[in-house]
Amino acid sequence: MDKKKLSLVQFKRVRLNEKQLRNFTGFLKTKGRVYAPHRKGEKSFSFQEVDDPSKVVFNYPRTILPLKKFFQPPIETLLEFTINDNSYELPDIDNKNKIFFGVHSYDMQGVLRLDYVFSRGEPEYNYLKRRENSTFIGISFEPDEYHFSGSVGIDVENTEGFSIFIDIVDEDNYVVFACDNTGEELLKEYGIKDFESGEYKLKEREFKAKLKYHYGRLPQIFEKCYNYDVWKKVSERCLGCGNCNLVCPTCYCFDVEDDVDLKIEMGSRTRRWDSCMLNEFAMVAGGENFRKELYQRTRHRLHRKFKYITDHYGYPFCVGCGRCSQYCPADINMVEVVNDLIKEHEEREKVYV
Amino acid sequence: MDTVLAKEKKILYAPEISEIIEAKFLTATEKFFKIKLPGGRDLKHIPGQFVQVSLFGVGEAPISVCSSPTQKGFFELTIRKVGMLTEKIHELEAGDKIGIRGPYGRGFDVNAFKGKDILIIGGGIGIVPLRSLINYIIDNRNDYGRLIILYGAKSPSELLYRDELKMWEEREDIEYHVTVDRSDENWKGNVGVITTLIPPLELDLENTIAAIVGPPVMYKFVLLALKSKRFPEKNIYMSLERRMKCGVGKCGHCQINNLYVCQDGPVFNYLEVKGLEEAI
Ligand SMILES: Cc1cc2nc3c(=O)[nH]c(=O)nc-3n(C[C@H](O)[C@H](O)[C@H](O)COP(=O)(O)OP(=O)(O)OC[C@H]3O[C@@H](n4cnc5c(N)ncnc54)[C@H](O)[C@@H]3O)c2cc1C
Ligand code: SF4
Ligand code: SF4
Ligand code: FES
Repeated sequence: MDKKKLSLVQFKRVRLNEKQLRNFTGFLKTKGRVYAPHRKGEKSFSFQEVDDPSKVVFNYPRTILPLKKFFQPPIETLLEFTINDNSYELPDIDNKNKIFFGVHSYDMQGVLRLDYVFSRGEPEYNYLKRRENSTFIGISFEPDEYHFSGSVGIDVENTEGFSIFIDIVDEDNYVVFACDNTGEELLKEYGIKDFESGEYKLKEREFKAKLKYHYGRLPQIFEKCYNYDVWKKVSERCLGCGNCNLVCPTCYCFDVEDDVDLKIEMGSRTRRWDSCMLNEFAMVAGGENFRKELYQRTRHRLHRKFKYITDHYGYPFCVGCGRCSQYCPADINMVEVVNDLIKEHEEREKVYV
Repeated sequence: MDTVLAKEKKILYAPEISEIIEAKFLTATEKFFKIKLPGGRDLKHIPGQFVQVSLFGVGEAPISVCSSPTQKGFFELTIRKVGMLTEKIHELEAGDKIGIRGPYGRGFDVNAFKGKDILIIGGGIGIVPLRSLINYIIDNRNDYGRLIILYGAKSPSELLYRDELKMWEEREDIEYHVTVDRSDENWKGNVGVITTLIPPLELDLENTIAAIVGPPVMYKFVLLALKSKRFPEKNIYMSLERRMKCGVGKCGHCQINNLYVCQDGPVFNYLEVKGLEEAI
């Protein structure tokens, strides 16, 4: 299966103006809770529940946090216990209908990758239950200086996972594609009777940021790069703050902690997002730490994106959203790091061939 | 890609509240617990596997099962006091309750070891998971060849399971060697690190399995000692310890390069971890 081009041409489509698209967003609220991008700061955006459809932002570069926050919340209660009698209850997991409106293709791919990790081996009920009954409506974006999803096989118009995909032609012109039955039913219920089909010409969208190699060639780099100089060079600037993990759609590592009330009678066992870039992450008894150096942790993070899980998943676990680059306080840029690895690889191979 | 959405409600993180039926100190820092699962159900573990032990309000930690699965109706743990949780667990007595999840991980492949000589090398608290294997072999003694046990501790007062050590020493069908780093006035045995026990051994190299568990530094030296005996690497098994938060391959804490200690281990064949910088 090639995720690259699921051609939009095969889908029924309809053209809506801005007002109609906002109305459609309002209509979706009758079907479940609707989440969509909202403006947060001057230049930042965030997925929030839609209250007023006029506040939804259609054209945005990326949200600060990806969709994982809805399926694996930053802090999640696993158990609620009473200490004295050793009893506990499992919290209810909310699996009511949710519609995610205005999702970019790479963020959808991030969700599909989390589905993979939480359903393989011992499937995890908490994630999978919360993930049930979710419908995704995709939207196109104009790649900025940080996006490089094209280099990891995810086009702007990749529709995998979406029930509906919206191509933004201009501010008042949206082409809405029904990608599956759910999507088509939603559009029909909203009142769309006539769909168009046949040729559709997509905008040309160029990624400004690009990996030097196609993702298919990256395993060749990650097979060899374990002792490259790049790791140490990068980590000279890295602060080890863990921001890159928190904003990443495919980072899901967590810590588990018990919290108790002031009377020490009741409490809850919670899990929270954790970061493999933090020093304590891999520390064991007696303070021994098998990744105590920053370069080892950077290397571990990138191997999780391009090698370890990729070896059995088949595609990079990095979806090219550019968040880790944009939100890194030390300006460490994922594309630059990978391209530097490629460069070092080429230099070394030349020397040793 | 096959995504299994929630079909059955199996909560990975829900412990079973179990009863401590016996608790006693083995040393100043190690306490032994006999535990009964609800209804006296068997844990059905394999030697080398671990459980997640929890106390509400304090937390959860991976602890090796130290009893053999041949014993039914209960299982045993030996817990060293090192921090918050283990300190609280040390306060528990018979009749108290404790949460258990598991068994988890990959243990020793006792079926594949059948017919072979078994060389056990345990350093310090490393003897804990090995006791499960040793007792399993003792209970199925005819299925295995020689049973050689090397045990090293810092001092005589840190030796665990002393009644059993005596039994191992006395049995004709067990070759038991023990050493301590520092002796005391009553100690008459070997003094020195555990690796000093290896050179004198006469082994049928091709037909011997080595099972090693100990602190991280011990592995390096034991491996070197085995190497100089030309012990085949493919016959070496070891159990590794990492920080664990979930025990089921999700939280990421136990990862050694591409391996999850909680799922791919804690018992590894040496060849699986040999080239991995983060392993030993
Ligand atoms: C597979 C496996 C089997 C184990 N079997 C046993 C056993 O049979 N008996 C036993 O006494 N101990 C065993 N341990 C170690 C035990 O899990 C830790 O000692 C325990 O988690 C410490 O918890 P704490 O809250 O008391 O200490 P903390 O207050 O959490 O920490 C004290 C020290 O232990 C380190 N630490 C914290 N969590 C772990 C962890 N999960 N693993 C290793 N170090 C950690 C900390 O970095 C710190 O240095 C095993 C560990 C693993 C991974
Ligand atoms: S966000 Fe940047 S500085 Fe912080 S840990 Fe990640 S790479 Fe290092
Ligand atoms: S590694 Fe960086 S670019 Fe890749 S998916 Fe994670 S946050 Fe996005
Ligand atoms: S302990 Fe969580 S992944 Fe192994």
